[in-house]
Amino acid sequence: MLGKGVVGGGGGTKAPKPSFVSYVRPEEIHTNEKEVTEKEVTLHLLPGEQLLCEASTVLKYVQEDSCQHGVYGRLVCTDFKIAFLGDDESALDNDETQFKNKVIGENDITLHCVDQIYGVFDEKKKTLFGQLKKYPEKLIIHCKDLRVFHFCLRYTKEEEVKRIVSGIIHHTQAPKLLKRLFLFSYATAAQNNAAADPKNHTVMFDTLKDWCWELERTKGNMKYKAVSVNEGYKVCERLPAYFVVPTPLAEEDVQRFQGHGIPIWCWSCHNGSALLKMSALPKEQDDGILQIQKSFLDGIYKTIHRPPYEIVKTEDLSGNFLPLQEIQTAYSKFKQLFLIDNSTEFWDTDIKWFSLLESSSWLDIIRRCLKKAIEITECMEAQNMNILLLEENASDLCCLISSLVQVMMDPHYRTRIGFQSLVQKEWVMGGHCFLDRCNHLRQSDKEEVPVFLLFLDCVWQLVHQHPPAFEFTETYLTVLSDSLYIPIFSTFFFNSPHQKDTNVHQRQLSLPLTQSKSSPKRGFFREETDHLIKNLLGKRISKLINSSDELQDNFREFYDSWHSKPTDYHGLLLPHIEGPEIRVWAQRYLRWIPEAQILGGGTVATMSKLLEMMEEVQSLQEKIDERHHSQEAPQAEPPCLLRNSARLSSLFPFALLQRHSSKPVLPTSGWKALGDEEDLAKREDEFVDLGEV
Amino acid sequence: MPPRVIFQPYGWQRSQETPLSSEYDFALVNIGRLEAVSGLSRVQLLRPGSLLKFIPEEILIHGRDFRLLRVGFEAGGLEPQAFQVTMAIVQARAQSSQAQQYAGITPKAGQGSGSRKPPIPLMETSEDWETERKKQGARGWRVSTVNERFDIATSLPRYFWVPNRILDSEVRRTFGHFHQGRGPRLSWHHPGGSDLLRCGGFCTASDPNKEDIRAVEAMLQAGHSDVVLVDTMDELPSLADVQLAHLRLRALCLPDSSVAEDKWLSALEGTRWLDYVRSCLRKASDVSVLVTSRVRSVVLQERSDRDLNGLLSSLVQLLSAPEARTLFGFQSLVQREWVASGHPFLTRLGGAGASEEAPVFLLFLDCVWQLLQQFPAEFEFSEFFLLALHDSVRVPDTLTFLRDTPWERGKQSGQFNSYTQVYTPGYSQPPAGNSMNLQLSVWDWDLRYSNEQILQFHNPGYDPEHCPDSWLPRQQPSFMVPGPPSSMWLFSRGALTPLNQLGPWRDSSFLLAVSSRWLPRPAISSESLADQEWGLPSHWGACPLPPGLLLPGYLGPQIRLWRRCYLRGRPEVQMGLSAPTISGLQDELFHLQELLRKWTPRISPEDHSKKRNPNTILNPTEITGILKGQFHPFWITSC
Repeated sequence: MLGKGVVGGGGGTKAPKPSFVSYVRPEEIHTNEKEVTEKEVTLHLLPGEQLLCEASTVLKYVQEDSCQHGVYGRLVCTDFKIAFLGDDESALDNDETQFKNKVIGENDITLHCVDQIYGVFDEKKKTLFGQLKKYPEKLIIHCKDLRVFHFCLRYTKEEEVKRIVSGIIHHTQAPKLLKRLFLFSYATAAQNNAAADPKNHTVMFDTLKDWCWELERTKGNMKYKAVSVNEGYKVCERLPAYFVVPTPLAEEDVQRFQGHGIPIWCWSCHNGSALLKMSALPKEQDDGILQIQKSFLDGIYKTIHRPPYEIVKTEDLSGNFLPLQEIQTAYSKFKQLFLIDNSTEFWDTDIKWFSLLESSSWLDIIRRCLKKAIEITECMEAQNMNILLLEENASDLCCLISSLVQVMMDPHYRTRIGFQSLVQKEWVMGGHCFLDRCNHLRQSDKEEVPVFLLFLDCVWQLVHQHPPAFEFTETYLTVLSDSLYIPIFSTFFFNSPHQKDTNVHQRQLSLPLTQSKSSPKRGFFREETDHLIKNLLGKRISKLINSSDELQDNFREFYDSWHSKPTDYHGLLLPHIEGPEIRVWAQRYLRWIPEAQILGGGTVATMSKLLEMMEEVQSLQEKIDERHHSQEAPQAEPPCLLRNSARLSSLFPFALLQRHSSKPVLPTSGWKALGDEEDLAKREDEFVDLGEV
Repeated sequence: MPPRVIFQPYGWQRSQETPLSSEYDFALVNIGRLEAVSGLSRVQLLRPGSLLKFIPEEILIHGRDFRLLRVGFEAGGLEPQAFQVTMAIVQARAQSSQAQQYAGITPKAGQGSGSRKPPIPLMETSEDWETERKKQGARGWRVSTVNERFDIATSLPRYFWVPNRILDSEVRRTFGHFHQGRGPRLSWHHPGGSDLLRCGGFCTASDPNKEDIRAVEAMLQAGHSDVVLVDTMDELPSLADVQLAHLRLRALCLPDSSVAEDKWLSALEGTRWLDYVRSCLRKASDVSVLVTSRVRSVVLQERSDRDLNGLLSSLVQLLSAPEARTLFGFQSLVQREWVASGHPFLTRLGGAGASEEAPVFLLFLDCVWQLLQQFPAEFEFSEFFLLALHDSVRVPDTLTFLRDTPWERGKQSGQFNSYTQVYTPGYSQPPAGNSMNLQLSVWDWDLRYSNEQILQFHNPGYDPEHCPDSWLPRQQPSFMVPGPPSSMWLFSRGALTPLNQLGPWRDSSFLLAVSSRWLPRPAISSESLADQEWGLPSHWGACPLPPGLLLPGYLGPQIRLWRRCYLRGRPEVQMGLSAPTISGLQDELFHLQELLRKWTPRISPEDHSKKRNPNTILNPTEITGILKGQFHPFWITSC
């Protein structure tokens, strides 16, 4: 099995000579006539993708146990991905290829997906970065989608090891310029592919019409208006070209502080109450300017506190609610639970699973977000209040909380198209700094905070608790979370719509590279804004601030009464947030761990049953229609997804059943003793016998 | 009727067919804690015999089965009754704890009295054993009648399976060398040829002669050349562990448990219950691989052979035999491996004092639930069925879970009246008189549940394609190999180690010399490419696991809390569980089929062939009508 491994697949490489050269010497075309392998594994390149460096005779370990078992192949680094070309992919049968990712193969890692790289030197594991003096014998790559790859370089030529290791380190870890993103080379090379799918009705919110449509849909158009004051990003580069504000608000007010201090409409509830967000005013030392700010804010608040507007409650999300730093720490602890180098390690931690999980406090953060969203929902739904979310830039927790509230309150956002529109509206147009938060340019680790992933995890809790309320499944969410690191989609690769527009549409022009954002000083900022707001709103909101007990009671009552009634999946949807109810998104976090695979089990078993029955219902319905109309309708073949796949694994579609067969169920210590060659033959005979009798 | 507390809502009518009803019905032995509440501050814990100090506004009955009954007495003249009722419960508990003998329910006249056939074979007659043996295709085995009068062991069933070639006299001699006379018996015959045996610990004190040792070994070997002795206790929790974990779990799941939300998970971990569930599943999964991967004799050995052996052997069968996953098969399995094999239910469930209480059977049910939720399409029964079974262990309506041994159970039901005095040879079956047929078992579900509820025992997601008999050839070559086994192993700590001899006694007849062949290989150096090739499970990859074998996941994240069972007492969790999507679809299917049939009376037969077993189809009105969440689990897609 292992002997067949493709060794030195470099033979007959037709890889283009790289035209982009960093510090790596031009790749010599490496021909090795002797080793003509049966199965030629070719590197599949996307339009615009270029091969940078490669190494042959690399052994990729199969991550199953501590035993050294693997596949030989070529390790390749392009400007898009790191790919391993072994022969195991050819073993895929039709069923498997049907569910293969079209862009990212099983052994492909996009450069943006690389999280940490470790090298093993004399059995010691060390983080690799910068210039290396010594090259490791083993390379371990941790990915942001939680895959772990082990590559053994012991049988690779020294020269190639140097090239591939430094190549990979450089291309995944060195700070990058925005224009060096693969996205751009891809966009240039594959222009036609970008044509929009006419069936895709996702509202992009990049035109005035889209916003007007949304206002109309939510019946918010009585009190709010879409404005085009920021067309061409004249006012502010942080805000989208079009957005919605309260009708009486003057356009000059928007311009006054570059969009800061302006209540921006997110969504209107059926009872008229609205969800608004606002970015805090810049902090000034000057008393004069402070006075100006104060009177400005006073004016704004006067506008939105007058009828026809409902009472406004301010939710300050930049305060103590959930510091971004905490999210970052929690996630980095949490993901370690799943980034395992070998199964033994996993078993060791297994007994303490729950306490380890708890100490990461990732689940608790999810609970806090859900709870905050329920609180806001309660205010809007039961008390008919407007909610004003406040955050420094209104682009992190504002996005998260406001989209959560909308998913819970508006069934439209629980359809796939609706959900995509929501992400577009609140996250992409809302100016969430995907580029910084995902650290795509590797410029600052501090800025890397998985806020969007946290949002998806919160939505997953809802999907998991109320599957019939959603048009999409957890698999959709998992795939969506993966697309954060695939740089052929522009959606998640910019900090703001302005940045995207200037880079994508006018990319013929030279890029203003100096423009890259200097990160604001967070801690300082937050406190001061807090102070400012309290001063200004002191009297008005003091009632709400002091009545936290009452708030708790309201919350409890609302929450309990909702859960005591039968669920209307097309209405308001609240999650359970008690201790046992917040779960681990197993599909996303466990899918690469072979031990987590349940052959023939898991929700997939239910799904296939469900699909089978749906098909039957459909076909019966067709038959009935036929008889009813006594017409001969053309027999449409029902879609047969998942047919003949009675025993898929629980990790479907991320891992399929084949891999399982080689998994030893008993610890190997026992089997080693049994593994005598002669014995083996006998054993096989026995089995065949049984099959035939 | 067993002594109990019932709450009858207005407008609630006792169905004629269900003398015992479910959700508001608390058998006195099931009451774990009784509290009287008045106002916000006055709470009194009422023990049997204690005196109520005030007039309660509310009483809370915490069931030992995790249920909670809250009865509020509204103001307005109810005070004296509230006091009376509460005191009555307190007194009744005091009495019932003194006299815990209860004779079991007798069916009412007209309720199928006379020739009421047990719903599943109770394994009390040799015919039952013979039928089951044939069903399993265990050709090398026969039913032994050697314990017909319970003179070998009262805890053993009257009949059991022993190898064909072993004489009854040998059986008798052999069993004496095992703890409490529980010698090796066949539990299950794998259609591939392997045999799963169970036995008690060796009596090290006994001094068997050479012939006896040979007989012991022959029985363990069961004609196979490969014998694996499984140390059941190893890596599994002790009885005390199980009991402690269960108590902790119950405390954690109480509605007033003081654990903060963000500390819930570590508190759950602290109970260790899930950890024990995990180790049971892990071990069962290992053993089922041993049974199915090669033809061999696998012997489960536990000192008492009455607790974890039953758990392990049942789990192995659930994992390896699709038959055991049907409703009928599962009930037969429990009857055979637990009830007939003498699991001391009464003692373990606390009926005989707390000292030896250990809910091993509930641990088993939790393991089964884990399998059910990991393999939702592989089981014919539903979570509701498991819950019903879980609850019935505390409801003393039948003798099934009320006695410790088959002997006591039989004695109670008057089975042996005719021959307690004189044993009549050749008399193997009691006459089909009333004494036998009055005996009801827990499997007579219609005693306690309405037909609608029983319909919910079926899992709508069960995929009939995995039905029995379609997965492996029934026949197997005769593997009765004469002579000593060629290899003997001890399975312990998750690994196989070679054994020199099977028994603990000195002069074993076939002492194998430990040849170098069986020594573990030296650790493989990862230096050479050749060794890479040897790698892992060379032989394993070549021989795929048989279809029908379930390998459960037992990693931390995969072992879940059985919320519907344990969190039933918490009101905030009870409500709003997911909708039964599959049931919904099934209804639609049923409805459409009906429509189609109505419109086209002469429809071709193949349309009917698609129709599923009508039993699995639930009536939509029932689904929507039943109070959501509370005590009626639905089959849900993901829980």
